[in-house]
Amino acid sequence: MRECEKVLDYFNDELSEGEKEQFERHLESCEDCREEIEELRSLTDDLPFSSEPVDPPEGMKDRVLGAVFAEEETEEKSQEEENVVPLEQHLEQDSSREVDRPTRSNRQAWLMRGLAAALVASLVGNVFALTGGEETVSEPPAVESTDQVNQRVSLEGESTPARASAAMIRQNGSQLLTLQAEQLEPLQGDEVYQVWLLNGDEPYRAGTFVANQNGEGAVAFSMDQLPSELDWDAVAISKEPNAQSQTPQGEVILSSSL
Amino acid sequence: MMALITEKKGCVMSNRDLEYYQKMIEGDKQSLEAIYDKYEKLLYSFVIKLSSDHSLAEEVLQEVFIKLWTQKAKYDNTKGKFSSWIVTITRYTAIDIIRSKKESVSLEEETDVPEEQSESVEDLVEWKEKSSTIRKALDQLSDEQRKIVDLFYFKGCSQSVIAKECDLPLGTVKGRLRLALKHLRKNLATVKGGIRDA
Repeated sequence: MRECEKVLDYFNDELSEGEKEQFERHLESCEDCREEIEELRSLTDDLPFSSEPVDPPEGMKDRVLGAVFAEEETEEKSQEEENVVPLEQHLEQDSSREVDRPTRSNRQAWLMRGLAAALVASLVGNVFALTGGEETVSEPPAVESTDQVNQRVSLEGESTPARASAAMIRQNGSQLLTLQAEQLEPLQGDEVYQVWLLNGDEPYRAGTFVANQNGEGAVAFSMDQLPSELDWDAVAISKEPNAQSQTPQGEVILSSSL
Repeated sequence: MMALITEKKGCVMSNRDLEYYQKMIEGDKQSLEAIYDKYEKLLYSFVIKLSSDHSLAEEVLQEVFIKLWTQKAKYDNTKGKFSSWIVTITRYTAIDIIRSKKESVSLEEETDVPEEQSESVEDLVEWKEKSSTIRKALDQLSDEQRKIVDLFYFKGCSQSVIAKECDLPLGTVKGRLRLALKHLRKNLATVKGGIRDA
């Protein structure tokens, strides 16, 4: 096919990458083709307006914009050392769901009080609940089957139906904290769920995540980023106004002693 | 007179679009929301016209607004109106997604437009102004011309598919299409003129 015959297929993006490049080089020297394309553009300009109005389905705006802003979140966060990981449908590590729920210890009450002192009411401009789901950019690190689970706990909270389980896994000489949560409340705006590990009263950031539209979230955090000499007393999840909190600014919703 | 008013409205609208767009680039979520609110129904209806698939329409819109927000697609106001730009992005995104799904909707099937609505196209003045004239102008084309416009623009078919569907030699497709589109433009002018006279 002569290059000038490819105008329609170029307009409809039907050319292969190679053909497209070749045609674009041709365009530089062929005024007729440039004019034809411009003419096609201007002649078809009004055609979209012939569409019969159809009402979009209920909740589409929230879903679409939720996904759009979630996209931004994941892109921004992937620049940082920690990952904000919307839960994929199929997570490995399903075994951690089989844990029996341990009895709640006294430590829990202490923990809730201790962190409550640091709380600040957290509400930023309501934008949209993040829906996460399919728009995942970063994947949780793959975990080899030879990993060894050192410790596993279930996290509970007083005022939420949400539940989570956390496990510390030894992988190739490194410690990994994995955590899965379900029945989480939807987040607003820039809010995130932040995981904390506590050494005494001192909280350390241990992963950030958002909930998908089913209220599920998960995180895999490399504990190599934390001081190795510390013993961890507890693990907790708080809702934070954004992913930058260095200490808990929001409500602690779930926790467990270790 | 009528044409003048229309011009002016169109102008004001695209200025506001540009304003929203520029704020959006600076990261203003409300501005993206404003653009979304304004174009949601047009783009959704447009994709349904392209694909007659509701779930796909939502997917396309999501992709379009991700492109907008992450600036994978950039609007240049020296190259035309924002509305033309966003419908073009939407069309290419739809064609892309339809192709990738390889759900080849039979071309023979008459595209039925589901849940069709009453006349009101309240959201977008431009749509309101143009929709009935364009539909009338399209109606005035011969069946053959309407078909070639439909296959080319709304179905995004390749030249060879159009040749096959319309039973035309490959080399004549482009000429026929241009003729049909020019005819459409002429009809459009006549329809508009008719309204002005009335």
